[in-house]
Amino acid sequence: MLKSTTPTVVGSKTEAKTKHRTFSLNAKDKYYAALFLGPSLLILSVFVFYPMLRTLYISMFLTNTLGKTTVFNGLGNYTDLLGSPEYIASLGSTLVYVFAVTVLTVGIGLLLANLASKRLPGIGIFRTLYSVTMGVSVSVAAIFWLFIFNPSTGFFALLSNLLGLPVINWLTDPTMAMWAVIITTVWMNLGFTFLILLGAISAVPTTLYEAASIEGASERRQFFKITVPMISPTLFFVSTITLIEGFKSFGLIDLITKGGPTNSTNMLVYRIYKDAFYSGNYAQASSEAIILTVIIAFFTFLQFKFLEKRVNY
Amino acid sequence: MISTNKPSRLNKIVSYTLLLLLAFVILAPFFIGIWTSFLPTMEIAKGNFLSTDLSLNNYVSAFTKTPILRYLGNSLVVSVLTMAAQLVFCSMSAYAFVFLKFKYRNAIFVLFLITMMLPFEAEIIPNFTTVKNLGMLDHYSVLLIPFLTSAFGTFMLRQAFMQTPSELKEAADIEGLNHFQFYWNIVLPYNKVSLITLGAYSFLGAWNQYLWPMLTTFSNNSRLIQNGLRQLQSEETFNDWGMIQASAAIIVIPTILVLFIGQHYFKSGMNEGAVK
Amino acid sequence: MNKRLKNSLISLTLIIAAVFVGIFTTNKPVKSSSSSDRTQVVFWHELGGASEDALEEVVNGFNKSQSKYEVVPKYQGSYDEAIQKILQTHGTSTSPAVFQAFDIATAQMIHSKYTTPVQNFIDKDPSFDIEKIAPAARSFYSNGGKQQAMPFNTSQPVLYYNASLLKKYKITPPPVSPTYSDITRVAQQLYERSGHKTKGMTVQIYGWLLEQATTNAGTALANNNNGHTGIPTGIDMDNPSTVKFLEWIHKNIKSGDFINYGSGASAGANQTAGFLAGKVGIFIQSSASIGELTANNKDQLGITYFPHPDGQKANGVSIGGAALWISNDKPKAVQQGAYEFAKYALSPAVQAQWQKSTGYLALNKDSQKEKILKDLYAKNPEAKVPGQQLADAKPNYVNSGILLEGMQVTRQLEEVAMEESYNGGDIHKALKKATKNVNQNITTSNRANGYK
Repeated sequence: MLKSTTPTVVGSKTEAKTKHRTFSLNAKDKYYAALFLGPSLLILSVFVFYPMLRTLYISMFLTNTLGKTTVFNGLGNYTDLLGSPEYIASLGSTLVYVFAVTVLTVGIGLLLANLASKRLPGIGIFRTLYSVTMGVSVSVAAIFWLFIFNPSTGFFALLSNLLGLPVINWLTDPTMAMWAVIITTVWMNLGFTFLILLGAISAVPTTLYEAASIEGASERRQFFKITVPMISPTLFFVSTITLIEGFKSFGLIDLITKGGPTNSTNMLVYRIYKDAFYSGNYAQASSEAIILTVIIAFFTFLQFKFLEKRVNY
Repeated sequence: MISTNKPSRLNKIVSYTLLLLLAFVILAPFFIGIWTSFLPTMEIAKGNFLSTDLSLNNYVSAFTKTPILRYLGNSLVVSVLTMAAQLVFCSMSAYAFVFLKFKYRNAIFVLFLITMMLPFEAEIIPNFTTVKNLGMLDHYSVLLIPFLTSAFGTFMLRQAFMQTPSELKEAADIEGLNHFQFYWNIVLPYNKVSLITLGAYSFLGAWNQYLWPMLTTFSNNSRLIQNGLRQLQSEETFNDWGMIQASAAIIVIPTILVLFIGQHYFKSGMNEGAVK
Repeated sequence: MNKRLKNSLISLTLIIAAVFVGIFTTNKPVKSSSSSDRTQVVFWHELGGASEDALEEVVNGFNKSQSKYEVVPKYQGSYDEAIQKILQTHGTSTSPAVFQAFDIATAQMIHSKYTTPVQNFIDKDPSFDIEKIAPAARSFYSNGGKQQAMPFNTSQPVLYYNASLLKKYKITPPPVSPTYSDITRVAQQLYERSGHKTKGMTVQIYGWLLEQATTNAGTALANNNNGHTGIPTGIDMDNPSTVKFLEWIHKNIKSGDFINYGSGASAGANQTAGFLAGKVGIFIQSSASIGELTANNKDQLGITYFPHPDGQKANGVSIGGAALWISNDKPKAVQQGAYEFAKYALSPAVQAQWQKSTGYLALNKDSQKEKILKDLYAKNPEAKVPGQQLADAKPNYVNSGILLEGMQVTRQLEEVAMEESYNGGDIHKALKKATKNVNQNITTSNRANGYK
C-alpha cells in the first residue's frame, strides 16, 4: 500500500550506470554478490518463480479428489472458463468493482488533498484526520461497515426508519452488495491515497499559483490548469496502484459478502480461493490464477512503461 | 490549494465547513463502531443507539472470552519479524545491484522486476503444497518465510542507494573498507529515511495479511488478528455485536496511535519517494 | 544518530537470528495445556455459537469420563472450507485425528481413502450396539455394507408455521405430513385474511431444499441409485418431482402469498427474523433451528414434516448435518481414542442433552427414555415432530443422500436454477441448464479421478 517510490525513480537507471562506472571492479565482488543476493533469490525462487510455473503446469491438467494432477487437458480448462457465462460474469463484476473503486478513491482523495493543502490555521488536524483510515485493517473496516449495513439493526437501517424511507437490503440485493463492498474499499483506501496526493500537491511550486492569481485565474481554474497537470504522474501512479490492488481484493469480500448474493461479488481472487479451497477444483483455479496474473502483469507493465516515459521528459 | 492572496472570510468559512463535513463523514464509521462497543448487545439489537447504558463490559468479555490477546500477540510478532527480515534482505540485495559488479546483474535485476508483476494470490496453490511438504503449516514460520524478502522493497532501496554520492564510495575505497563495512556503516545510515519507509510498508503489509494466514493456520496458537476477527464473527451465530465492535476497537486504537506518532516519519518518507 | 541506528540494526539481526533458531528447532506449535501422559486426540469441528458451547460440553464430558485420552477441539470455520483443509493437511502433524465433515462431503471422504471406517472399530467392540442408532442416519454414512463414519449432529428439514397467527385468523393448521396443496391453502388463507399484512410462505433459495423435495417425492437426482451402487455419471434435475416442487412455488409467487428472501447465509437469517416478526407465516428449515425459534418466539410454533406432492405418499427426506470421521494417518492408539470419543458422543444421555441444547436430533433410540427429552417434549410437544419424521423414514437409496463428489458446485448450480425460476423464468429451461452444467462437472471430475 505504501508503494510510493516507483513513480519518479525508474529511468534514472542510465544516469546511475555512468555514475557507478568509476567504482572499482573487484574480482571478489561475485562472492559478495552471492552472499548479498543469495537469500532473496532463494526465497523468490521457491515462493514466486517455482509456484508460478507450477500453477501454469497444473492449469493444463485435471486434478482429482485429492488435488493431484491426473489427466492432461491442454488448454481445456481455459476454453471451459472463457466459455462459461459465470466466469465471464465474474470478470465483469471485477471490472465494475475495480473501476468504481479507482475512480472514487482517486476522485475523493484528490478532493480531500486539495482542500487540505490550503494554508489555513489548524489544517494539520484535518490532514491527520483524513489520513486516519491508513491505520485500519481489512477486518476492522469490514466489521465497522458490516454493522452499518446490517438490515435489521444496522446504522443505515435505523436512519431509514427514522426518516421513514424503505430499508435498503445492502447485503442481500446483488447490486447493493456490490456497492457495499465498493464503499468499504474506498473508505479503507482513502487515507493512503490522500497522503500521497497531498504530498504531490504540496510540491507544486507556489510561483505557478502566484502567476495565475495575478492573471486573475479562479481557484477552480487553477486547480484544473495547474494542480491536476502538475501532479498527473502521481495521479497515474495512485490510480494504477488502486487498480492493481482492486484486482487482488479478497479480505473485504470474504468478510462482507462471501462472494454473494448469487455470485454478484464473486471476484477473481475470491473465485480462485473458492474453486480451489472450497470445491477442490485446483486445476480450474490454477487457470483462473494464470488469467489473473496476465491481467495484473499487463497493468504493472503499463505502469512501468508510462512512468519511464514521464520521467524522461 | 496554495494561493498567496489572503483567502476572504467567506472563502474561509466555506473551506472550514467543507473540511469539517468531510472529516465527519470519514470518521463516522469509527464513531459508530466505538460508540456501539460501549453498549450492551441487547440495546444494539433493539436499535437503541442513544442508550446511556454505557460500560466496558464488551471489552472485558472480548479480553476474557476470546483469544484476542493471543491473536494480537501473534500478529505483532509476525509483523515485526517480517519487517526486520525485509529490511535486512532487501537492503542486501539492493546493495548488490548498486555497488557490486557481477555477471548477469541486469538479467537478475529484470527477474526481480518481473516478480513485481506476479501476484502472490495467484500462487497460493503450489505454495500451500510447498509449505505443507516443509512441515511449516500452522506455525509462525509459514507466515514468515515466504515474506522474508520482497522484490518491491529491493527495487525501492535500489533506487534510494543509487542516490548515494559517489564520493562516499571513493572515500570508503581509500580507507580500505570492505563491502560489509561500507554497507553497514555508510549505506544503511545514509538511507535511513528509505529504510523507515520500507519498514512501515512491510509492517503494515504483514499486519494486513489475510488470505495466506487463513489458509495455513488452523489453531489459535498461530492465528493472526485479521483472521481471528473473522473467526469471532463466524463463530458467534447470534452476532454479539457489542463484543465484536469492542474487538475491532481494541485492534484499531493502537494502530491509529502508532500512525499519529509515526506520522512525521511516514510523511517525510512518502514525500521523499512520491514527489521529489 | 549513526550509532543509534547501528545499534538497532544489530539488535534486529540478533532477533532474526534468534527467530531462525526458533523456527527450525521447534517445528511444532506450542501447546498451552498438554496434560501429562494422556493420548491427545485432535478434533476439528465447524460448529459456532451456542452449538460450539454444547459441543465443548460433550468434549469435556468425555475427557472427564476416562483418563486415557484427551480430545482437543479446534474450530475450523464453515463446513465448506473445512473439507479441503482436511484433505490437504492429511499426513502432516497438524491434521486432525477425528473430524466433523458435513453430509455432502461423504463421497469425497470415502473416495479419498484417508479415513478408517468406524465399522472396523465397531466390529471389535461388543459394548457398542449400532442398531440403537437411527437407521436413516446410519445408512447415509455407510457404503459397501460398512459404516464409514459415525453420524453426529443430524437434522431434518421440517416446515415451521406460526400457530398463533393461524389461530387468530381461524385457519385450520396443516396435517403433520402435508401435501403441497395443504400448504398452499394455509399460505393463501393467511395472506388474504391478514389483509396482506402477513405473507403466507417462503422457501429459501437453497439447494438442500430442492434436493429434499425431490427425495421426498421418491426420485433419485443422480443415476446409479444416487451413487449408492456405483459412481454417478450424470444427474437429471428436469424430472417430474423437481418440476412439481418448483411449480408449487411458482403458483404461490403468482398468487402473491410468497416472499423471496434470496439465497445465502444472510437470507437464512433474514427469513428467520421475518418469521419471528410475524411477517411470513410458513417456512422450511433445518430442525436444528428449533431452539432459536422457540427461545425468541412470542408466538406459538407449529411444525410439520417436509411437504410432498399431491396424490402420492411421502418417501421421507434424508438427513442433513455432519458426521465424525476418523483419519487413518494417526497411530492406532490415537485412532482408538477418536473412536471412543465418537462412541461417547452417541451414548443415550449425551445425545439427549445434545438435542435439548442444540436442536439436532438425538440419534440413539434409548435417548427417548432419558428424562431430559421427556421433559422437553412435555413442555414443547412439537419438538417431537422432527424425530418422528426421522423414525418414519424407511431408508432406501433415494433418501440416503447423494453420494456424488462435487456436491458443493452442484448446490450452487441448483440455486442458480431456483433463482431463475423464482424470478419467473421457465422451469424446464432453468433445470435443463443446471443439469447440463452439473453433468459437465461430473464428467470432468470422473475423468480426472479415472472413474469409469
